Amino acid sequence: MNSIDLKSILNFSAFRPEPDDPSASWKKRFPAEKTVFFGLGRGALSWRAISRSGTPGDLESVRADPKEVLVQSSDHIKPLTDHGWCAVSLCTRYVISLETNLSRRSGSEEMLKSNPRGVLGGRYERGKRYALTHNPETNSSILLAFDEDQVRKTEGLFTEAGFRVGRVCCGAYILLKHALVSANTVKGSEQPVSTFYIVCCEGAVCALVQDQDRWLELRSRTDVYEEDLTPITDLLAPFHSRLAPEIGITLVCDEPMEDLAERLGKVFANRAVIDLSRPALLATLMVQN
Amino acid sequence: MQITEHQIDDFKSDRKDIAPPLPAVLRLVPLVFYCSIAVAVILSSIFAIQFQLAVQKRENHKTATASVAVQTQDAKNQRTALEAQIKKATDIQNWVASSRPLQPLILAITRSMGPRSSIVDLRLDREADNPSQIKMNLSMGTDSTKQLDLTVEKIAELNYRAFSPTQTLGRGQLDYKATLVHQDPFSHQNEEAHR
Repeated sequence: MNSIDLKSILNFSAFRPEPDDPSASWKKRFPAEKTVFFGLGRGALSWRAISRSGTPGDLESVRADPKEVLVQSSDHIKPLTDHGWCAVSLCTRYVISLETNLSRRSGSEEMLKSNPRGVLGGRYERGKRYALTHNPETNSSILLAFDEDQVRKTEGLFTEAGFRVGRVCCGAYILLKHALVSANTVKGSEQPVSTFYIVCCEGAVCALVQDQDRWLELRSRTDVYEEDLTPITDLLAPFHSRLAPEIGITLVCDEPMEDLAERLGKVFANRAVIDLSRPALLATLMVQN
Repeated sequence: MQITEHQIDDFKSDRKDIAPPLPAVLRLVPLVFYCSIAVAVILSSIFAIQFQLAVQKRENHKTATASVAVQTQDAKNQRTALEAQIKKATDIQNWVASSRPLQPLILAITRSMGPRSSIVDLRLDREADNPSQIKMNLSMGTDSTKQLDLTVEKIAELNYRAFSPTQTLGRGQLDYKATLVHQDPFSHQNEEAHR
């Protein structure tokens, strides 16, 4: 035991998860420490300070090459953290798809990291990192695939800028899971849920059709919109004719967009829109989990 | 359908040497350490305060002891002076008590003289240092010693005791010398009563 171990015991940090321990929540890893939450798009970088109490601060965003923004703004962003720890939401270079008949054996979640081929079988692609969400009532699953090189480049980018990356995640996937958890609350198949999930996160859009608990169709695109929201409605409009008449819309965005709900109401006429968006929703979910 | 999984999937490159957190029960170790430091600080403070109080108390005690010593010395000096005065007064009292008036003695001697006797010379000497002893030189004109016996008897009635008596009988003259010491007749009774 050296002096660092002794210090970690005396300041109780040895009893908390390590800052880059992915199995622990952000709040447990940094219980009283300022951190920063980055949103990384193809042509934009946004950041939001997380206070010591875990409360997200105001969003700051710059539309430019993220590498240049990070170099130029690192002196401004670094003071927002105590020790440089940050979480990064990648909103580009990922694929969300709907799959069926994937392995659900016990331990498959751990196996997905160590040996993804054993879980994904023929759907496995070399150089990818995966995450899975299973439908408990059917054999369908939502599969998120990240380019491993992109993750490493992102880690290198932030490390060079003087930050310590504690988490790399996908904001759109987190919001989609949040919408699924919020909509599907009754255990069993007696009260099936039918809704059309629309997720918007820093230019990325993901749409999932759920009919009687069955996931029928999923469409995900990155870098769809910037300021103008028209590309979103253009992307989603074809779903209107394919949706059953009683299916409503569950909308969730990383930041509330009032115009979007109004526009969706026009595109998807006579369909109820449930908007789960809240200010700093993504950052709040990232801190809590 | 119910979906409860909230965990966020992390795509960060895992570090190989990530150690799990220590068991929560081991938090007792630093807690006991900090408690022991706190207790040590509190006890040290108490001991320091007690030490200061003890030093102050010792100084006060020293001051009080010195004050009492001065008072005792003053009292001793006063007692010495008082004892000296008492001794002086006692000496004066003893001297006054021992220097009894001579008139009754002279009167008794004079009255003891018979018809054919006379006093030729009577001398009573008394030293200032020892006034209780009276050196008597009596010359009587008489032919016999009966007059001397009568005179000595009268002297004895006055509680005088004669020491070293000498008498010389010449032609019609009798010289008598003695040292007379008065004795208190009640002193013997008082001594017996004390016993």
